[in-house]
Amino acid sequence: MTVHNLYIFDRNGKCLYYNEWNRKKQAGISKEEEYKLMYGMLFSIRSFVSKMSPLDSKEGFQSFQTSRYRLHYFETPSGLKFVMNTDLSVSNARDALQHIYSNLYVENIVKNPTCILGNSLDSDLFSTRLDTFIRALPYYNPRTT
Amino acid sequence: MADDALFEFLHMEIVAHVYRDLQFIKGETDNKDRASRVSILEGMGYRVGQGLIERLTRDSPCFKDELDVMKFICKDFWTKVFRRQVDNLRTNHQGTYVLQDNKFNLLTQLSNGKQYLDQAPKYLAFSCGVVRGALSNLGLESVVTAEVSIMPSCKFQVVIQKL
Repeated sequence: MTVHNLYIFDRNGKCLYYNEWNRKKQAGISKEEEYKLMYGMLFSIRSFVSKMSPLDSKEGFQSFQTSRYRLHYFETPSGLKFVMNTDLSVSNARDALQHIYSNLYVENIVKNPTCILGNSLDSDLFSTRLDTFIRALPYYNPRTT
Repeated sequence: MADDALFEFLHMEIVAHVYRDLQFIKGETDNKDRASRVSILEGMGYRVGQGLIERLTRDSPCFKDELDVMKFICKDFWTKVFRRQVDNLRTNHQGTYVLQDNKFNLLTQLSNGKQYLDQAPKYLAFSCGVVRGALSNLGLESVVTAEVSIMPSCKFQVVIQKL
């Protein structure tokens, strides 16, 4: 049971923050390309899901899974996108992502006068608190499997 | 009372505005400019402090002496303005007081240690002015400076001017 990594994108597709806790395999491309790939994929999937869904959906795209991991997606009304990859035992990380947004992002970034909107998130305070929060999650448990 | 976040955001923008505008006019920053910006912020705080203290001491009796005034500032005034009390008050009994606040309201979201240390004084100037204004309307002229070494803890030094 573990959290692999976390991305935070802004409304324009720029990756503001990335951190990994338990990533066994790298993508094989540069970080910039990886962020663009992730954002592009999310954009396409969201649009696909909203068009092709056979039912009325209020929430839209929330997560997808492969045989090894699950990707959770959370978008705020202000256009911020939180993406977290966990293993398959985590069925719903929405609350965690919501908490990261309202308690960590809003408190430590938005209220930080030195953090300008649109810049990557440099604040050490934010990083340490996020790290502590992720490690304290009930489903975080780094094992070497 | 209105939401605290309102004042925090307004304060952030006031500081940013003062620094942005002056930079635009002068074209570059040097020590003299930095001092003038800090004094603009402090002047704003001075006027705010003067008004605030009238309102907050409406119902209190006269203060016996200087130390009593400082204790009021540390407890009631600090609680109303910064939502907590000053953690430590020291004095040399000759007009100098050091107020230490270990979790200063306007610095908690900035950092938890040394990051952004050089930017911290900007965000303390207004508060220094508030304290100076409050004291001046209580009859004590003073000079208030602030120093910070590890955020969010900071020390305000108040030197009462004897006439």
